[in-house]
Amino acid sequence: MSKLDNALCEIYHMDEIAEREQWLNHIHSLIKLVITVCFITVTVSFSKYDLAGVLRMGVYPIVVFIFGELSFRSALKRLKVILPVVCLIGVFNPFFDRQPIMEIGGIMVTAGVVSMLTLMVKGIYSVFASYLLIATTSIEKICYALRLLHVPAVIVTQILLAYRYISLLLEEASRMMQAYSLRAPNQKGVHFKVWGSLVGQLLLKSIDRANEVYESMLLRGYQGEFPYAAKGFFRVRDCVYLGVWFVIFFCLRVMI
Amino acid sequence: MNPIQISMEHVTYSYEKSCPILKDITFKANKHECIGLIGANGVGKSTLLKLMVGLNTGYEGQICIEGIPVVKENFPKTREKIGYVFQDADSQLFMSRVYDDLAFAPRNYKLPEPEVEKRVRKALEMVHIEHLKDKQIYKMSGGEKKLASIATILTMMPDVILLDEPSIALDPKNRRTLIHVLNQLNPLKIIASHDLDMILDTCSRVILLSDGKIIRDGDGKEILSDRELLEAHGLELPLCMQGIPD
Ligand SMILES: Nc1ncnc2c1ncn2[C@@H]1O[C@H](COP(=O)(O)OP(=O)(O)O)[C@@H](O)[C@H]1O
Ligand SMILES: [Mg+2]
Repeated sequence: MSKLDNALCEIYHMDEIAEREQWLNHIHSLIKLVITVCFITVTVSFSKYDLAGVLRMGVYPIVVFIFGELSFRSALKRLKVILPVVCLIGVFNPFFDRQPIMEIGGIMVTAGVVSMLTLMVKGIYSVFASYLLIATTSIEKICYALRLLHVPAVIVTQILLAYRYISLLLEEASRMMQAYSLRAPNQKGVHFKVWGSLVGQLLLKSIDRANEVYESMLLRGYQGEFPYAAKGFFRVRDCVYLGVWFVIFFCLRVMI
Repeated sequence: MNPIQISMEHVTYSYEKSCPILKDITFKANKHECIGLIGANGVGKSTLLKLMVGLNTGYEGQICIEGIPVVKENFPKTREKIGYVFQDADSQLFMSRVYDDLAFAPRNYKLPEPEVEKRVRKALEMVHIEHLKDKQIYKMSGGEKKLASIATILTMMPDVILLDEPSIALDPKNRRTLIHVLNQLNPLKIIASHDLDMILDTCSRVILLSDGKIIRDGDGKEILSDRELLEAHGLELPLCMQGIPD
């Protein structure tokens, strides 16, 4: 399978796990969105030397991974591109901030190292929290929650369509690559001379396709506001879930 | 009395000014008819269908749906009456699950959720794909997608159904299912296709397009068995009429 097909499979697969019959997936999307935002805010709010405090926040991703019956390994696999980037954020801190603050086994640990680690952990946690939201909530439901928070319809619809169009783009690209590789069997990858025309074709084709999808939406009564299945009610279990996490976050941040 | 649902009068249309694709098209379509729109590739069958739903604008002449002129101000009203099935099912189906795609139109028209559900169930029943209700769209075969894309417009309960090359890329079994489904649908249907066998099995009236004009408009069997007429306009007799030599 080519890289493109892999990427497509990943998107489809995310769609699929977000649609599982699992209690976490049935929690109201707004609740999950709020908890995620809350978690990220609290995590980021720790001071830059409070490594222990930030580490404690790991309770949330761990618990959700376990109770959501999500595979940690496949999460790592999917996030393998983004995680290293996140880890790079604080990489220069040790050079700037050389003040020693403690000694572990005879090795001096500088403040810079601590703040680098803290930043990394904050970044990694935030990425995981977002991943957990996406893995338990379909894109339509996330967009619905955003609408409940009064994010303008234009922006939310953009997000939703961008998500859909990415898969159209990948499908188109994958078809073109197959057609190309069948006619250039000895070529590894794409010869640079045809990049231009392939990309141009891809662009035109996906514009056509996107346009047709948009037309088909218009013909079915679309008028700028995406119709979400109105699942307006919060149930007791939603509120309990929200409450429990609020209490835990509060304790982790303030009490301990 | 036969109420007229679609009327076109002296319609001329061109993508580029210099060469009109459709020239002086005039015809009327009545309730419950099934009309086959035939012609060689590129004569403008799809263009004609798109004119009726207002995807192509800027035509000369007049197009009316149930007496309402197809112009921009009326689009919300006219489009509600028409279901348009795209040639490519992938353009029609853009949600992740079949159910959500079928519910797209009724939810847009602000129907209450129980009614939406009822319509979705009925539409699935009409095209015999109840078992695909919760299926992920990318996992479906070409034939299933086609039937699902027809179902997506049935939830609108349209008075008119326009289909662009519905039988293209279907295997014989799926094609038979499609014909069966089409024959059971009650609203006015206009089917653009060069699959004359399917047209013969579904349509009682046929309009033959060539060179941007209506060459013939009349009884399906009669036109489809006229070898000379068809061959003069780049088509061939339906296979079942070609007679198998023994
Ligand atoms: N968007 C467009 N811009 C310019 N020309 C077009 C466009 N779409 C179709 N055409 C031209 O209009 C003619 C009729 O196309 P179409 O209606 O798709 O034919 P059919 O469906 O009968 O095969 C073709 O010659 C085609 O090249
Ligand atoms: Mg066509």
